[in-house]
Order: sequence, then structure tokens, then C-alpha cells
Amino acid sequence: MHVADSILSPAVCVAAGAVSTVAVGYSLHRLRDQLADRTIPLTGMMAGLIFAAQMVNFPLIGAPISGHLMGGVLASVILGPWAGLVALALVLIVQCLFFADGGLTALGVNILHMGVIGAWGGYAVTKIVAGRFASPRTGLMVGAVVAAWLSVVAASALFSAEFWYSHRGTPDFDFTGVFTLMVLIHSAIGIGEALITAGVLSQVLALRPDLVAMLETGDERGRLAPLGRFLAGGIVAALAIAAFLAPFASGHPDGLEAVAERQQFDGLAQDNRVALLEDYAVPAPVDAWSEAGWWEIVSVSLAGVGGTLAILAIAWCFTRAVSRPPDPVEVST
Amino acid sequence: MSGYLDRYARRRSVCHRLPDGLKVLLTFALIGAALVTPLERWPLLGLEALVAFSGLSLAGVPLAYLRRRLALFIPMMVLLTISLPAAQGFRGGWELQGTIVARSTISLLALLWLVNVLPFDELLVALRRWKFPPVLLATLSFTYRFLFVMWDEMERMQRARKVRSFGRGGLGFLWATRSRMLGMLLIRGLTRAERVYGAMCARGWNGRVVHLEDDPRES
Repeated sequence: MHVADSILSPAVCVAAGAVSTVAVGYSLHRLRDQLADRTIPLTGMMAGLIFAAQMVNFPLIGAPISGHLMGGVLASVILGPWAGLVALALVLIVQCLFFADGGLTALGVNILHMGVIGAWGGYAVTKIVAGRFASPRTGLMVGAVVAAWLSVVAASALFSAEFWYSHRGTPDFDFTGVFTLMVLIHSAIGIGEALITAGVLSQVLALRPDLVAMLETGDERGRLAPLGRFLAGGIVAALAIAAFLAPFASGHPDGLEAVAERQQFDGLAQDNRVALLEDYAVPAPVDAWSEAGWWEIVSVSLAGVGGTLAILAIAWCFTRAVSRPPDPVEVST
Repeated sequence: MSGYLDRYARRRSVCHRLPDGLKVLLTFALIGAALVTPLERWPLLGLEALVAFSGLSLAGVPLAYLRRRLALFIPMMVLLTISLPAAQGFRGGWELQGTIVARSTISLLALLWLVNVLPFDELLVALRRWKFPPVLLATLSFTYRFLFVMWDEMERMQRARKVRSFGRGGLGFLWATRSRMLGMLLIRGLTRAERVYGAMCARGWNGRVVHLEDDPRES
């Protein structure tokens, strides 16, 4: 997820840097109103924690790669959006200036992707989803899972847009193809992020629910105005929805396939396209519908909703699996 | 962990003796140069790579370290940018991909040079001199301090997990145990933060970091 230097153009880096600076500055301003003496060690510890947590590898069977937690949603659910964003920004600063992970000029881009979208957007989505549930704990778990997945997909959609803007002058640069690939890969990565977030959060909720800021009521820490919450959540959701619909809205069934057709290599095109997208539509229940033009659009949306629900169901099952009451031995730490 | 840290940053080479500001400026200059080098002037990219490489050898950074970092970095960059030729059915886009990978590799070399000639604690002092926001700087110092504590804690928990599980279990089991481990790490860390905060309050902490070089009469 870390964007290195020279991938994006200077204009994009400067713009993202400005947005991130304002966001971090505003978070610091909000934190200063609260108990500044307490937030400094707590945020520092959270940043150190996320850093250590990112070192734990989650193996994937059948693949030489392994994933790790990114932690934006987790940090903001536990510390609130202001301290959460600051913690994420600090993690990225340390990773850049201490380990050369992620670019120096792309630091603003990385803070925007993982901090602003992950912590702020993730917090807003969690809050919105959690409000729909009667039980605050269930709401928090479901909300955090949805937010973790959405924030990763939204960040990849934003990256694709930035990538396109950086290289738009290049001949034959195909935005749809890049977009489809990036978003597809990251919707899989997002499932991993959602599962890890759910596992970690269920453990914390089972043992020390008092540590989770979002569960506290009447505490000013991490409270977002309804309008701001709506806007931030809406932006993240819109990005993620756009991620799903853009390849179809462009008039092509799929960017890769469209390019393959244009370049006239039929035999190769069949194998070349992304297999996941092949049946990405719901068959019409009535024959007459399938001839209507609008069914294509509806079916794609239905498939998108179905996919999201399937992911939620998987995450919910996982949550249930890992949130059994802990052993007495574990409590006594 | 020790193999990954800034263990070359404490040497006394020509590069290490440069002023802190100049080190940061040079790194920015090289990254900026790599970023604006046009596609047609590719020999310039070679020149920039040479500059970065000679800087690294002047600073005494061993080749094995660079090889390890690049062996992780270059395949990742190629994978990230594979969408460029893939979007064109692998008929074109290779030049663009090659340029991006080359540019980012040069930038990584430049950043590695900075990381290995400027120790983080000295960077914190420099940031303070450059009027970095004090609250952010204080939190950054705490992050730097807690980083090692949390890393050690995490390594202890990983070792304990390995000893007990014998590497058995399916994918779901592995993910569940690791998530729980992270949950425990989080709880331990936050509990520790509370304890540290209490101890700091007991020693007169009022939210303002006092440095050794400060005038004591001010505080």
C-alpha cells in the first residue's frame, strides 16, 4: 500500500501533501482542545503498536506473499478520528524517515490514503453503520469490518485516479484497465484487512471494552458533527461504489477485455481477461427483462450488492468464530 | 530487528559529517531530479543512479544491505506498475513501466542514503530546530521510544506462539491466533501507556516537553 517516490507526478504529490497537512493540522488542533497531556503518550503508543502490528505476517496458503494489518480503522475506532489520524501519520513518517518505506515526496499521498481515508473515512463509516444496530458492540464490529474493507478499496480507487492524472499525457494509457486491476486486487486485500480488524477488535472488546473510545458515550473524544460524518462517509462510500461501477459505466464490460477486442487478438483475449469479472451479472428472472437495456445496469448493481453482502457474511462468521469467550488464563495477563 | 535498523547511521564518514539540513536538501534534490527526468533523456537516469550509489558507498553502506532492500522493492514496483502494459494487452507501455521503476529505484536509493546518514534521534533534534509543531514532535518522540518496546513485546508473543502451536493448524486457525495476538498486543500496549502516563504525571508532566538545552527558568 505504500506509494514510493516518482510514481505520481509532483502536482499530485503537492496536492495530496497539502490535503494531508491540513488534515493532520486540524486533528492536532482538535486534540489540543482535549487533554493534550494524556493524548501525547497514548497516541505515541498507538503509533508504536500499529507499527509492531504491521510486522506480524498473515500467511496466505498457495501464495508466496503474506498480508499485514494497515490499521487505520482500528486506530480511529480505539482512539477516535483525531488521534487515530495523527497515529497513522506518525507511523508513516517513521516508516519513511527511519526505514525508507514509502516515498519522501509521496508521504502526503500515503497519509491521505491510509490516514485520512483509513482513519477519518473509516471512523465515519463505522459510526454510520454502528448507528443502525441496537447493540453498540455488534454495531461496532460490523461497522469496523465494513469500514476496513471500504477504506482499502476507496484508497485504491483514489490511487488509480491519481495514477491516471500523473500519466494522462502518455499515449495509450488506459485508465479503465489500471482501475479494474487495482480495485480488484485491493478488494481482496480489503477482505484481509477487514478480517484482521474484526479479530483484533473482538479480542479487545472481549477483554478491555473500556479501551475503545467509540463505545464511550458522552465523551467528547472523537465526536464528529452529523454533517461531517455524513460527508466523510458519503465520500468513502461513493469512491468504493464508483470502484465497482466505473468499469461498467464506461460502456465496456471490462477494461482489459475492451482493450483486447480493440487490438484484435480474439484467442488470447478469452484467457487474458480477469476471470472474476466474467460472470459479474445476475441473470434476468423474466426473459423479456434480459432484452431491456436497463437490466444490464441493475444486474451489475445487484451483483455488487451481493458481493458486498457475501463479504460481510464471511466477516461476520469469522467474527463469531474468533469472539468466543477467552480462556481464564488469557484474562489474567 | 537489529538487521533492519539504522545500524549504518552511527558511522563517521564524509556523508555523516554533513549538516542535517544539507542531507535532507540533497535527498530532496535527487528525488526531484529523478521525478522530472523525461523519458527521452534516459541516460540522465543512469547518472542519477550513479550519484545515489556513490553517495551510499561514501557513507559505507554495504552492498548486501542494498541488495536485500532492492530485492524486495523492485519486484513490488514491477507488480504495482504491471497494470500499465497489462491495460494494453502487453503490446506497449513497457517504456513507461520501466521509467517508473527506474525513477522510483533511484528515489529509494536516495532515501536509503538519508536514512543511513541521519539517525532518527538526530532528526528529531533537527526537526525541533526547524520549528516542527511541538505536539506532533513530542508524539513522534514517544512513537520512536515505544516502537522498540512494542517490537520486543511483539517478538516475545510471536516466540511464545511458535513454541505452543508447533506450526500446526489451518489458515483460519493461523489468522485467528494472529489476530488475537495483535489484540493482546494492543491491550498490553494501551495498558502500558496508561501506566506510563501515570508515572509521568507523578513526575510533574503538564503536557509540555522540556529539553535538556531549554532554559530551566522558562518552564
